[in-house]
Amino acid sequence: MTRGLLVRGIDVAFGGVAALAGAGIEVRPGRVSGLIGRNGSGKSTLFNCITGFVVPVKGQVMLDGVDITRRAPHQIVREGIARTFQTPRVDFRMTVREAVLCGTYATVAHGFIASALKLPRARLAERNCARATDELLDRMGLAHEAGRPLATLSMGRLRMVDVARALAAGARYLLLDEPAAGISREEQVTLAREVRKLAASGIGVLLVEHNFSLIRQLCDRITVLDGGRVLLEGDTESVMGDERVVLAYLGTRHGEEPPS
Amino acid sequence: MIRRLPRNSLVMAVIALVICSLAPLKASWLDFAVMAGIFSLISLSAGLSYGQAGILSMAQGAFAAVGAYVTAFFGTRLGWPTLPVLALALILPALLAYCVARGVTRMAPLATALASLALANLVEIIAKSWDSVTGGYIGIAGIAPVPGFARPALFNILVWSFVVIAIIVYESVMQSAHGRALNVVRHDRTRAIADGVAVAPLLSSMLALSAAMAGAAGWLYVHYVTYISPQSLDTGVSISALLMAVVGGASYILGPVLGTVLLSLLVKFLPAAEAQGLFYGGALVIILVVARNGILGGLERFRPRSDKERAPHVPHVPAEARATSSAPSQHEEPKREAVPLSSEPGAP
Repeated sequence: MTRGLLVRGIDVAFGGVAALAGAGIEVRPGRVSGLIGRNGSGKSTLFNCITGFVVPVKGQVMLDGVDITRRAPHQIVREGIARTFQTPRVDFRMTVREAVLCGTYATVAHGFIASALKLPRARLAERNCARATDELLDRMGLAHEAGRPLATLSMGRLRMVDVARALAAGARYLLLDEPAAGISREEQVTLAREVRKLAASGIGVLLVEHNFSLIRQLCDRITVLDGGRVLLEGDTESVMGDERVVLAYLGTRHGEEPPS
Repeated sequence: MIRRLPRNSLVMAVIALVICSLAPLKASWLDFAVMAGIFSLISLSAGLSYGQAGILSMAQGAFAAVGAYVTAFFGTRLGWPTLPVLALALILPALLAYCVARGVTRMAPLATALASLALANLVEIIAKSWDSVTGGYIGIAGIAPVPGFARPALFNILVWSFVVIAIIVYESVMQSAHGRALNVVRHDRTRAIADGVAVAPLLSSMLALSAAMAGAAGWLYVHYVTYISPQSLDTGVSISALLMAVVGGASYILGPVLGTVLLSLLVKFLPAAEAQGLFYGGALVIILVVARNGILGGLERFRPRSDKERAPHVPHVPAEARATSSAPSQHEEPKREAVPLSSEPGAP
């Protein structure tokens, strides 16, 4: 059995337009994989295939040797793959603690009736959820903000809450959708530190990102998508040094079309 | 660790105590209290389905009717003992609701509402046509009172005990992981799925619980009125229940009970029973204009709050607009929007 999240040969078509053609990526426990590519290269679609929001026409998503390609998205979360959203999708009236507590739902095994009747197993699960939430808030440096409504947080702090919420689901693999978008440089430093801590604790991280410095800092491996195919895959140094990547990705200035 | 008090349950218990001690003073009060209690259960069930699960159900009266017919058929026709009949009156509507909801909760809210209306009509047609079981248009008469609760004052206590139990169960659900998940589903389904919530089963469970409450109301109703016919608990009852829930505050646990008691009082003290619809409609219009979240929602605005509790008003983004922002698409834009969240008015 191969440990890790292995995605291979994914084909996705949206009404005749091939969004992905044989795309794939690999995420290992304790490692950070980067997924980059130009706009429309299929990064988000691949991301959605892994999390089950899009079902591919062809291809496989293997989690620790188990095929999870056709599982429903909520089941995939329970299998240990959690995601964050590019624009955090939160109820801004909730407090930080409430939001993270919502993430623990994936760890709850008892049914609706047990909750309604407050059976002992529901009470026990509730205590465990509360404890897990408080531990996570501590670990992520959010404890002092636990009672604050989300509406009062900056984008960077919201992203941290989103990460904590994903971890609360018991994630072994964490998929981050452009976590550095719209946050300050200072907050990027915090983010990078937290992601490194997560990887060190054995969590496999997939980073979809436009921010090259963050990618360079964090990733062990990088996959470059172009037109729905894998253009390049390898360790960070070799990918970053590749001429095609420099041309297709870094070499463009704002408003300028990249050479194709 | 924070331990939350079951505040609503305690308040409800006190209200029930007051009602049960005052009502027996006058026969007409007692009748009013019993009917208000039974209707509170139905509108509570509407609060659960509409206020919490977001299902605009027109079938709550039909679920109560199923509970009532089950009681009349098994209890009176077949002569089963009281408790097994009560269990059936709770379980059968719940099963019916769960099965139907599993099919319809994927649809758009309006389609779901219409499906529930269709279900209610179906129940009514069956009640009218299945002569051998339901007694057709004539219905079933001669249902005996609940043994031991034949006296109206005692029956009133039984009714309001049911309401208190319903509130306790309701509050337990809302304080549990499932209640939190429901709140997330109502706000943003995609977010809920990403939390690991199986949305359709959760909403269906909630509708099943609401149907069980309505079934209990049907059981009480038929024992009190001693008669059930297709007109007893029809779609009009479902709509009144929904209205009472909305007036009181559908997403507040005690809202439906408050709405029921107030609207029942209104109808009792205002003349002309035929004009009932007029008063209901008027109450709805006033509520929608003055306090969109019902009376309890309106009152909450005046409640002093610590900044720890709830965020100030946040501009509401329509669910559709939010949903499209990260809907699966191959068209990616570098979203570098600076979201001015930290500059929310009133932020500490």
